[in-house]
Parts: sequence; structure tokens; C-alpha cells
Amino acid sequence: MEFLLNFVERTGAKAVGWWNATFAVLAFLTEVLSTLVRPATWNRATLDTIVKQIYFTAVQILHVYLVYVLAISWVIITITLSTARDVGLFDAATEMIIRVLLLELLPFLTALLIALRSGSAINTEVALMKVNNELDALSHCRVEPMQFEFLPRIAGGIASVIGLTVLGSVLTLFLAYFSIYGLSTSGFDAFSNTISTVFGIGVLMGLGVKCIFFGLAVTTLPMAAGLETPKKLFMVPVSVLRGMMRVFLALVLIEVLSLALEYI
Amino acid sequence: MFKNLHLKVGLFVITVLVLALAFLVYVLHARGFFEQRMHLQLAAASAEGITPGMPLTFSGMPIGQVASVNLNDAGGIVIKAEISQSGAKWLRTDSTFNLDKPLVGGAKIKVSTPDLSSPQLPDNATVLLLVTDPAQEIPALIERVKNILANVEHITRQDGELNSTLANAKTITTRMSGKYGVLEGVLGSEENARPVVNSLKNLEGLTARLNEVSAKVDAMLVKADRWLFAEDGMSEQSKQALAQVRSMLTDAQGSLKRVDELLKNAVDISANVKDGTQDLAKLRADIDDSVRKANDLLNDINRMWPFGGDADMKLP
Repeated sequence: MEFLLNFVERTGAKAVGWWNATFAVLAFLTEVLSTLVRPATWNRATLDTIVKQIYFTAVQILHVYLVYVLAISWVIITITLSTARDVGLFDAATEMIIRVLLLELLPFLTALLIALRSGSAINTEVALMKVNNELDALSHCRVEPMQFEFLPRIAGGIASVIGLTVLGSVLTLFLAYFSIYGLSTSGFDAFSNTISTVFGIGVLMGLGVKCIFFGLAVTTLPMAAGLETPKKLFMVPVSVLRGMMRVFLALVLIEVLSLALEYI
Repeated sequence: MFKNLHLKVGLFVITVLVLALAFLVYVLHARGFFEQRMHLQLAAASAEGITPGMPLTFSGMPIGQVASVNLNDAGGIVIKAEISQSGAKWLRTDSTFNLDKPLVGGAKIKVSTPDLSSPQLPDNATVLLLVTDPAQEIPALIERVKNILANVEHITRQDGELNSTLANAKTITTRMSGKYGVLEGVLGSEENARPVVNSLKNLEGLTARLNEVSAKVDAMLVKADRWLFAEDGMSEQSKQALAQVRSMLTDAQGSLKRVDELLKNAVDISANVKDGTQDLAKLRADIDDSVRKANDLLNDINRMWPFGGDADMKLP
């Protein structure tokens, strides 16, 4: 009896914890969005910080990212083409490559890369700022942390995910075309036809929205986790751990939802 | 600390924007946003397997795609297709539209134009979509294959004809590999084949002996030849005998003439019969003598003439 009671109590505590966390994230998100639409936010200083964030998140890793996309795309295109040739579905190979790489894999991997590199950094930074009372100090000096610390990172994250995905996708498209048709323009019509079949207006918009959500997830969730950190230094790693776990779950959830919306 | 930070970010953002815009324009171009597309309506009995985006191909090259599949108020199928400007020129009034649903791979609508000189198909034309579905033929095919397999099973069953035929064939070929080869196979056993082989062997001996006989006959013929046609041979003797015959016949002719005269006398002197009868008796003795001589001669000839008697040659 006591065991059952303990079990129910533990479940209840977990549910409350989840709810609190979710609420905190949602509250934070609401604050972000309200700051975003406030005209006063968009001043020179904010824009300057956003530019810096884009630099740190996207431009600094551009060469690494492009090599990484090249490798992943080349491997997947080669495997898809040889398998399609073996089973006699070569006609479907182009569409398969475009769907798998451009619509699903590249946005997801880009978000994952940014989460690993910038998301974890943001989480640690915010947690340390919280522990060291820097956020309170900034507020005290009338420097809104939301406007000058959080929002630029979120905007930079979203822009980075979209920008890197666009660059990677274009690279992959060229790679796919040359892998299938070689250095000739003979397959251009057929290729265009496949592209037009895959990329409807709805799909393009869905891809954009998905990238925005990915960008939001990889920046907002680590920040929210950092802000939750109790003012104890040893809680910083725990905060990063929780934040990154949430980022991962959110990325998978977005991906699954997007797939469900597109194919079900 | 971060040199050219703004420049790099600016370059990144501009590149991304330009590429995104270019891609958008490319997709819109590929979807035929910038060109006047030709529209077609396809009439089909069923929309099964037809989905928006399904390509229309001419000689294997994509020229357009199905834009929408709908039911109209009367429950009919309305398939709308869009053809690119470059693909529209291949569509003629006698073009046929076939729904091609392979067992593996995506379905497509195949357009074929037998005569490219016929007039162009107008925009918004309604054409018939022919559906050939191999999947529907499969059950019938399976039924036939089943029958064939049942027959094969019947033929190849444990105690079936094929098995016994094969067993027989095996027996025959086993016998053929025996001492007497094919003969044994045909005749059934070694015992049956042995007499045939023996007869053949006998025949061989017989032929050898026949050869000897013919050699002997040859020799005899040479002898006969010599006996008959040599200097003092049989033919020479015959010639002499014939000369004798001729002289004897001359004698006989003379005697007969005398008989003639006598008969004439007999007629002349028939009155004096008494005298005549004495001459007749003498004449008769003469004739008898001539005939006996001729008879002897003929006997002589018969004796000497080699071919007069039995002419058959007896072989040993």
C-alpha cells in the first residue's frame, strides 16, 4: 500500500515538474514573441547583436558545415542511386533523394549541429549568468536581458538554421544533379519536373516553418533551461543536460509532426 | 578581434537570400508558373492509381503532370493534366493516352503519337485515358499456371508414365552399354543378341569361303577356255565334224535323187510290177544304210559337243 502511494506521489511530482518546465518554456516563448513584435526592440544595438550571433552560429562553422553536408549528401545520393538501379526504380531515385535529403535530413542535421555547438553554449552561458546574478545586474542597469541577450540569440539561431539549410540544400541539389546526369544539361527538364513535383507551395512553406521551429527549439529551450538553474554553480551541468535533452526531444517532435502533416 | 565580422555576416546573409530566391524562382519555373501551360482533361472509367503529380511522358520523357483528380456532380472522373509548352507540340488529335502501372515503380501516363503530321491538340481538350493494368491479369495468369503445374505434377508423379518411360530408357541404355551394345538394347537381353552376332560371324566365314569358290570357278573358266578354244581344242574338232556332216548330207542328197529317179521309173513301169519290186528292196537297204550313217554321225556330234547336255553348273 505504501509502495503504491509512493509511486503515485512520485508520478505526481514528475508531472508537476514537467508542467512547471513546460509552463516556464511557454512563458518564456510568449515573452520572446511579445518582445519580437515590439517596435522598440528593433534598434541598432539589437541588430548589431543579432549580426554577431549569426556570425558565431553560422558563419564561423560554414566551411565545416559545407564539408559535412557534402559528405553526408554524397554518401546518401550514391547509396540511393545504386540501390534504385539495382531494384529497377531509377526513375524514382531523384525524387527519393530530394525528399530524403532536402526536405528531412538536411534541416534536421543542421538543427542538430547548431544545437550541439551553439545551443549547449547558450545554455551554459545563461545558467552561469543566472548563478552569478549577472542577469539581475543587467536588469538593474536597464539593459533588458530579453532584448539584448536572449532575442538576438534566438533570431540568430533561426536565421542560422534557415541560412545553413538553404546553402546545404543548394549544394546537395547540384551534387544530386551531377551524380545522376553527369556534366550535361540533358537531364535538366526531367530534374526540373521532379523538383516541381516535390516542391509544391505548401511543401516550401512547410519547410520554412519547420526551419523556424528548429531554430526556435535549439535556442529557446537551452535558454529556458539556463534560466531555471538554481543559484548554485554545481547545478550548471545539470541545467545543460536537461536543456540539451529537451532540445533533442523537441527536434524529434518537430520532425515527426512535419512528416505526419506531409504524408499522413 | 573579429575582423570583417559584418562583411562576413553580410556575405552569408546575401548569399543565402539570393540562393533562396533563385531556388524559389527555379521551382516556380519548373512548376510552369512563368509559361503558358496547356491544359488537358482526361476521361477514365476509374481514377484508381491516378494521383496528382503523376507524370505524363512522351517517348519516356516527362512532358507534364496530372494536376488534379476529382469527381464531378454526375459521379464521373475529372482528371486535369498540365502539359509544358515544349511538351504540348507532341500532342496531336490522334495521340493516345495510356495509364501505365508497372508492378514495380511509379505509375505514369504514356502519351504516344503515331502521326506527327496530324493537327495539334487544342487547349482544354478532353481525351480518353486507356487503362492497362497488369495486376488485374495476374489472378487469371495464376490460375493457368496452377493448371500447368498440376499437369506437370501428374506427369511426374511417383508411378507416372514419365517415370516408367524414364526407367525403360534407363534399362535400354544400360543394356546398350553391355557386351553387345545397341543390339542388346534393341533385342532385350544378351542371350537374344548372341545368335545375331554369331550369325554375323558365320556370314563372315561364309563370305571367305565364297571368295575361295569364286577363285576356283575363275580357274575352271580359264581351263574351259583353253579346252574349247586352243589350237587342237574342242571347237576345232567340232568344225571337222561339221565338215563330215556336210559331206554325209551330200551323200544323202544323192541317194534321195536316185530315189526320185526310181520312183519316176516306178510310175513309168508300173505295168511291170513284178520286176520293180526287186529294185525297191535294194533301194530300201541303201536308204537304211544312209540313215544309219547319219544317225551315227549325230551321236558322235552329241558326244563331242560340250553344251549339248545338262548346261547347269553345280556349285560345291
